[in-house]
Amino acid sequence: MKLQVNGVMHEVEASPTARLLDVLRGPLGLTGTKEGCGEGECGSCTILLDGLPVNACLVLAGQAEGAEILTVEGLAAGQLAPLQQCFVDDGGAQCGICTPGMLIAAEALLRRNKAPDDAEIREAIAGNICRCTGYQRIVDAIKHAAVVRAGGAS
Amino acid sequence: MIIGRSVPRIDGHAKVTGKAVYVDDLPPRPGELWGVTVRSPVAHGTLRGIELDPAFDWSDVTVVTAEDLVAMGVENLVALIEEDQPILATGVVRHVYEPVALVACADRDKAERARAAVKLLIDPLPAVLSLDEGTVVQKKYRIDRADVDAALAASEVVIEGTYRVHHQEQLYIEPQGVVASWHEGETPVVHVAGSLQCPYYVHKALKKAFHLVDDAAARVEQTVTGGGFGGKEEYPSMIGLHAALLARKSGRPVRLIYGRKEDIEATTKRHPAVCKVTLGCKRDGTFEAIKVDVVMDGGAYVTLTPVVLSRGTLHACGAYRFAHHRVESRAVATNTPPNGAFRGFGAPQTIWAVERHVDAVARALGRSPIDLRRQNLLQKGDLTSTGQVLDVSVGGQECLDAATKAADFDRRARDLEAWNAAEAAAGRRKRRGLGISTFMHGAGFTGSGEHRLKGKVQVDLERGGRLRVRSASTDIGQGTETIFQQIAAEAADLAFEDVSFENPDTSKVPDSGPTVASRTVMVVGSIVQKAAAAVASHVRAKAAPGESFATAGDRLLAAGDAETKCLVQYVPPQSRAFDDATYQGDAYPCYSWACDVAEVEVDLDTFETRVLRLFTAHDVGKAINPVLCAGQVEGGTLQAIGWAIHEAIVWRKDGSIANARMTNYIVPTSVDAPEFHTTLVEVPYPNGPGGAKGVGELPMDGGAPAVANAIEHALSADLRWGAGVLLPDLPLLPENVFERARRAEVVS
Amino acid sequence: MSALGESFFRPRDLGEACARVADLVTRGVPHHVIAGGTDLVVESHLRPPSTVAPPATTLVDVSRVPELVEFAVRGDTIRLGGGVTFLTVRRAPALAPLRVLVEAGKDVGAIQIQARGTLAGNVVTASPAGDGVAALMALEAVVGLRSVRGERAVPLRDYYQGYKKTVRAADELVAWLDVRVPAADAFQSWRKVGTRLAQAISKVALAAVVERDGETIRRARFGMASVAPTTSPLAHVERFLEGRAARGLDLAGLDAAVDADVSPIDDVRSTAEYRRHVARALVREVARGLAPK
Ligand SMILES: Cc1cc2nc3c(=O)[nH]c(=O)nc-3n(C[C@H](O)[C@H](O)[C@H](O)COP(=O)(O)OP(=O)(O)OC[C@H]3O[C@@H](n4cnc5c(N)ncnc54)[C@H](O)[C@@H]3O)c2cc1C
Ligand code: FES
Ligand code: FES
Repeated sequence: MKLQVNGVMHEVEASPTARLLDVLRGPLGLTGTKEGCGEGECGSCTILLDGLPVNACLVLAGQAEGAEILTVEGLAAGQLAPLQQCFVDDGGAQCGICTPGMLIAAEALLRRNKAPDDAEIREAIAGNICRCTGYQRIVDAIKHAAVVRAGGAS
Repeated sequence: MIIGRSVPRIDGHAKVTGKAVYVDDLPPRPGELWGVTVRSPVAHGTLRGIELDPAFDWSDVTVVTAEDLVAMGVENLVALIEEDQPILATGVVRHVYEPVALVACADRDKAERARAAVKLLIDPLPAVLSLDEGTVVQKKYRIDRADVDAALAASEVVIEGTYRVHHQEQLYIEPQGVVASWHEGETPVVHVAGSLQCPYYVHKALKKAFHLVDDAAARVEQTVTGGGFGGKEEYPSMIGLHAALLARKSGRPVRLIYGRKEDIEATTKRHPAVCKVTLGCKRDGTFEAIKVDVVMDGGAYVTLTPVVLSRGTLHACGAYRFAHHRVESRAVATNTPPNGAFRGFGAPQTIWAVERHVDAVARALGRSPIDLRRQNLLQKGDLTSTGQVLDVSVGGQECLDAATKAADFDRRARDLEAWNAAEAAAGRRKRRGLGISTFMHGAGFTGSGEHRLKGKVQVDLERGGRLRVRSASTDIGQGTETIFQQIAAEAADLAFEDVSFENPDTSKVPDSGPTVASRTVMVVGSIVQKAAAAVASHVRAKAAPGESFATAGDRLLAAGDAETKCLVQYVPPQSRAFDDATYQGDAYPCYSWACDVAEVEVDLDTFETRVLRLFTAHDVGKAINPVLCAGQVEGGTLQAIGWAIHEAIVWRKDGSIANARMTNYIVPTSVDAPEFHTTLVEVPYPNGPGGAKGVGELPMDGGAPAVANAIEHALSADLRWGAGVLLPDLPLLPENVFERARRAEVVS
Repeated sequence: MSALGESFFRPRDLGEACARVADLVTRGVPHHVIAGGTDLVVESHLRPPSTVAPPATTLVDVSRVPELVEFAVRGDTIRLGGGVTFLTVRRAPALAPLRVLVEAGKDVGAIQIQARGTLAGNVVTASPAGDGVAALMALEAVVGLRSVRGERAVPLRDYYQGYKKTVRAADELVAWLDVRVPAADAFQSWRKVGTRLAQAISKVALAAVVERDGETIRRARFGMASVAPTTSPLAHVERFLEGRAARGLDLAGLDAAVDADVSPIDDVRSTAEYRRHVARALVREVARGLAPK
């Protein structure tokens, strides 16, 4: 099976009926994508599939063939992306287990909406449960990142 | 100054890039097996036997039962406070989900099938499933100060109320799990790595069960931990023992990681409780006497219940001044999974009751909940229920002022009234309300706890003039690693980057005591500070004139100077000794204080509550890292809000859990969560590093009562339920509020 | 985690998909059609423990079948491919007139689920708590069932026959859903009372499309979730309203009509009493919306 992940085409030995999550974490060694529930509830397995945020625990590997996959490992090019940096600086990550999925959901938002307001941010990450932060600092970090991406002060 | 600066968290980079290694991210080891646990489906019963399905192929499956423990010479005991909980049940099962057997197989799917192929022969016995039916007392306490009975008899106003709270699941997003291996040899060594809060708890449990004498015979290592909130305090001992047993019997490394369902079902939860409060006061609202009767549900085994009950007892009179106190508390056993540590540790339960009761008193006296609180809030110099004189770091009043100011309370209250009136006039059905709570939380271990613990920390000088902090205090998201580095750098007068943090691994760090009780910064941090300062000043003292710190350090290291390492043991500050028999004396070195103001919107038809804004002020002594500190406050407060209006374990009649899935155990999402307005108040505690005291648990204490108070306020104009407390019980699920309203016949 | 199945097929078009399914049905091979997987994969995750491995299953992935993911506007009817996702519904400007469905789409799970979950999947799953189904009912959807045997159209109202029972034959795919575009001035409303504000299963949800001639209610169509064994229309309420003046409705009569339409139960998420109360309240809310103060 061939999967295009973070801009690189991979040949993987895996059943097309395996969950994409297991293929990413197992044969592809991309353990940044997390499993918190295995049933689409927590969002910690969120990846982009052709630019859309989806739960990798509900997608079968075969369904992702031919699509462009982005995981948390693909966010930083050399240095941290603004989203990542803002999560670190603004307290967007505590235990960090929700963070990869949260970053991907935020990335999906910022690609469509350059200057989201609080309500739009909250809606975009409503499928990503965080039990640590109370969300306020995540919302602030995403808003901050939007400004940085737009070329504003960091 | 490094203390007081929001240095970006050290582990942040690894966490935002996906490089942080959590237990399930550890690469599989050669020969590794997947472990699973076979659990009782019955709440109480006689275990007659265990049958392995003869039709199943067991050739590549390892099975461990209590009999194997006997054969291996393992003591069937999870060592904690009481020696009552077996690693695997024998003879009797005492709760649904109690572990009875263990299974491991290289093929994960087959291991899951093997679990189903183990048949437990159990004859059911009558089961006690709620604390109301509990008769076996696990622990009790009594506080009796001055003369409560006489004072109540003489009070102008006496008000009574009964308040209930329910279970709560920690629901950390990373389920529990460990990887274990057993190395036979001259001295066998068991190695457990996993998601846990207290490496030395697991270490102690392993040593005890396997009769290991040498500390080095057991090695427990923390992997990056995806949340704990108390849930990974004592339970990892159980999982660690299970995985170690499978590893020993199979001779292979074993990975034992729970799925979400098993995690919700089997691991510990917050203790449910019922509190009866009687409060006597003057007509002008001055509080005089309080009597609280507390019953908690400990579950099937004692685990940490005595300590949870103790903290609940010590917080039962709230943050208010009384001349007479009586608290009688007890924990009873039930045939439900043992309840255990959860952020707040007994205090949220009793604080719920006393806060609700203060609202009831305010209503009875026709007073505003704020004014009544302000009038009775504990001040510097006042005495607590244990007779402790509050002589340092008493910030309750400051918090009340800060939170109400941030909320612009009076103006907001007027605006809400206008808003509600407009809604009503337009025939719309949403109403808004404001509610408040004030509360305090004892920082550190109770009473003589720290004397017994003797927590230790070591700081080592390393090449290049760097310091390494060795401590068993874990970072489970709160930022321990970053904060300890800040404290050490400040104490040593070095740059933040010149300090590093050793991963909590019992082979590398001394026992600093558990990562619990909001003690990490205040207690362990204070010895990090001492040790770092000692090493640094030694290097500076030995430095030749003009010699840099790094050069001098390297020279001392090369010379084998013993004082380049410093091990410090915690010595609690001088205080009035706490008497465990009378429960009088200094219960805690100091208290952290807080005030929450909640603004809610309630639907008059569906009784859905949405918390719109939450203004909170927390007196933390000193915020070593304000961003991390506020993150603790907000995260903890949201857990409290979830507990109040969303979360509930649904128990079936057989003692099993009907909603052990994230679909049905409802925690708040980002759109359910309020906008937070957090103020950090700093009334320094002289013995904490930089003046810091605990913050971890405090935010869990006040959210629920503030929200309840706000819901009542929102409903007050439309639903006239009469005086008295309307919402005495958690959870405030829409169904429950509806039920209350219906019983009061205000909705059809 | 075990793989969901053994063989995996990805038909190029609807014809191939039907042929593949027909073949699997004829040969009696255990199989599933999979679209977004947001129901199917969850169900497989919840499989009860068993000592034997589940039977080898064949999966037919229709998530990229071109005919299924398209939609077309034809006068006052819109044909929605069965594979149209809730996110497409939310974002496609051409679908904006289907306000009730757009609003329901926003309330399905959260964005990850909306990006994968399809209308056909929602219909076929036949959950009593189908939010999409409720909105489609209010839009008078007709289900296009396609198999190698041909195509037939079944009104969504007649599609369900009891708890998880439908008229769909094993070899039939939901090819499309035709919905009636409400009049531009129609009243459309969506209200979901769930376990929380996102990622929530409905305790009660109501979709309404009401058209009026002046003050008189001409046509009222409702879909309600989680108050009966299937997501269902509110036939009594519709009959009660049609032909009446929107102002000054007899609310007790309206409540009685609701009671005749719903049969709520207690479950892990809510209680029958609460659901009945909320069902009435949501219908009253629509009535208020029809005649604002
Ligand atoms: C976290 C979470 C939240 C959710 N929230 C909601 C919610 O708020 N409201 C709600 O209504 N639902 C919700 N759901 C359920 C689910 O997302 C929806 O029912 C969705 O529409 C299912 O579509 P799917 O394409 O993912 O279906 P799949 O899982 O792919 O399929 C479901 C069923 O439909 C069949 N099927 C799919 N396509 C076709 C076709 N073209 N022809 C014939 N059969 C077909 C499959 O064989 C299967 O039996 C939620 C699910 C999750 C996991
Ligand atoms: S693991 Fe996929 S959503 Fe939780
Ligand atoms: S940071 Fe721990 S769950 Fe979000």
